[in-house]
Amino acid sequence: LTGRAQQVGGDGPPRGFRDILPTEARELRTIAHALNETFASYGYMPLEPPIVERGHASPLLDGDRVIRFLDRDGELVALRPDITTAVARLVAQRYAGTTGALRLAYFGPVFREEPAMRGEEREFDQAGAELVGPTGTLADAESLALLAEALARAGLQDATIEVGHIGAVRALFTGLAADALDDVMRDLRGGDHVGALRRARDAGLNETAIARARASLAARGLDVESVGVEGADYLRAVLALAQELYPGAAQFRPNFALIPALPYYTGIVFEALHPSIGFPIAAGGRYDLLLGAFGEPRPACGFAINIQRLHLALYSSGWRPAADETLIVLEPGDPVATSRLAAKLRRECSVTIGEPAEVAGLRAVTATVVDEEHARLADGRTLDVAALREHAARWRDS
Amino acid sequence: MSRRPLRFALSQGLLLRDELTALAAIGCDVTGVARDARRLLVRGGDLEFVRARPADIATYIERGAADLGIVGKDVLMESGARVLELVDLGFGACRFVVAGPRDAVAKSLDEYRHLGSLEVATKYPNVAERHFRERGLAVEIVKVSGSTELAPQVGLSDWIVDLVATGATLEANELAIIEEISASTARVIANPTAYHTRRDEIGPLVEKLAAWAAPR
Repeated sequence: LTGRAQQVGGDGPPRGFRDILPTEARELRTIAHALNETFASYGYMPLEPPIVERGHASPLLDGDRVIRFLDRDGELVALRPDITTAVARLVAQRYAGTTGALRLAYFGPVFREEPAMRGEEREFDQAGAELVGPTGTLADAESLALLAEALARAGLQDATIEVGHIGAVRALFTGLAADALDDVMRDLRGGDHVGALRRARDAGLNETAIARARASLAARGLDVESVGVEGADYLRAVLALAQELYPGAAQFRPNFALIPALPYYTGIVFEALHPSIGFPIAAGGRYDLLLGAFGEPRPACGFAINIQRLHLALYSSGWRPAADETLIVLEPGDPVATSRLAAKLRRECSVTIGEPAEVAGLRAVTATVVDEEHARLADGRTLDVAALREHAARWRDS
Repeated sequence: MSRRPLRFALSQGLLLRDELTALAAIGCDVTGVARDARRLLVRGGDLEFVRARPADIATYIERGAADLGIVGKDVLMESGARVLELVDLGFGACRFVVAGPRDAVAKSLDEYRHLGSLEVATKYPNVAERHFRERGLAVEIVKVSGSTELAPQVGLSDWIVDLVATGATLEANELAIIEEISASTARVIANPTAYHTRRDEIGPLVEKLAAWAAPR
């Protein structure tokens, strides 16, 4: 039997999946808590779509980036590659006909197929907030402010939130035929500025417009004003409102080169970036057409935070979760007395009986049980329940 | 927060001389890179230069290990890396082509009708696969690491997909171009996050390189 168990347990998880051990898991929960609290403070209600959705084409990703399989009924199902799409489906079906604003927030794992040898994970967590219904500057500003405040409350400093506008980028190529414009936008979503401008020129865009497009795509921050991009005024108004909604140290930057790979955005688009990591920590924008794909056209704006990247950025900038808990380790004496003492202490403290092999970075105070009211510390002092709690609290605050 | 110097990745090999010419022309200090070919990480003025194999440069930049760099479009097409392509520098011109034995194109097409599939040897399986999928031709890709021109002569494959500059090597091996897939030149590429957050440093470099390349 032991031989068989070894055989089964010999391999680690499949490529791109991994175990999250207690120190990391505790940090991730601390982050999740801060984000969920922020979402709740803006009136966003929690929502939990299933992990698995039907496996038909995702509007989000190429089919080959979605993990799909046949279930026992022969139906093609997919591990969700994002949660925004699931929220869009759910809103279209469960809130059909609702006209008011829906504020919905989620936190959970998503799955993406990644080629081997790229060092990419196939499972990661996303936290996000979607505002369905309202449009205009106040709605767009709310999404931006919520993202900025959520990241700040999680402890992230030095992040910038780069804000672009897909409508404004399309307007740079006004005059092109619809097909040519779609091709230009596809090149830009793929990051190919060289190809996009060449295609626009080949499709007949004049040199003045080409030069303006080139300058606009290079403009960030105050430069956006000087190139006179259509939509710069709208962005300025949105950013000013976002700063009012969240008067913290958020750094919003207008940036017309910010063109996400996802095709479903229609208005503002944004990414949270941090100097310590080469990938966006969060991404979002206005996607007024996505719900229509599920038969219930409604405007919407939202974002998703990649929790593992946020954690990496926090860790690289020296963040560690506050040691807001001390673990009291009771060296057991009489079993009944030990159990009673543990029960009394647990009303305010975390207690284990016996030395634990894993404390996930928590501080541990060891005390030997004397009777059901008292335990003795390593330094020889014997404390009662109240004094023990106080000792643990002092230790925590020191 | 202090930032590390901007890291510029250079393709080793055929492109390097032109890369250094372009960078010197816009005022970058590349003397260190030119002097010692064994040092892979060299400081030059405000920049830090990294020399790497072309195929790795897209990976370095996609993952943020370098902020910007110069690499052939051919490499980008094969790697599929998510990077920003900002300037066409014009040098390093070459073409992806489909080639086959000079006198046997008709024969291989006849074979295709009977056998339903052609074998294609290449160092660039992604480019080849995409091309034939778009053309609607059923092919089996055979990945090789070099000397692709040999494959049809020894019966490893019917055709090849390869990168050619002049076509002299094809000629010497009695191969003819069946069709051109796409042209390639050297590109300035950047990690998107670096391009956004360090625009004040990257923007002027990109602008100068574009101005340098424009009349060419």
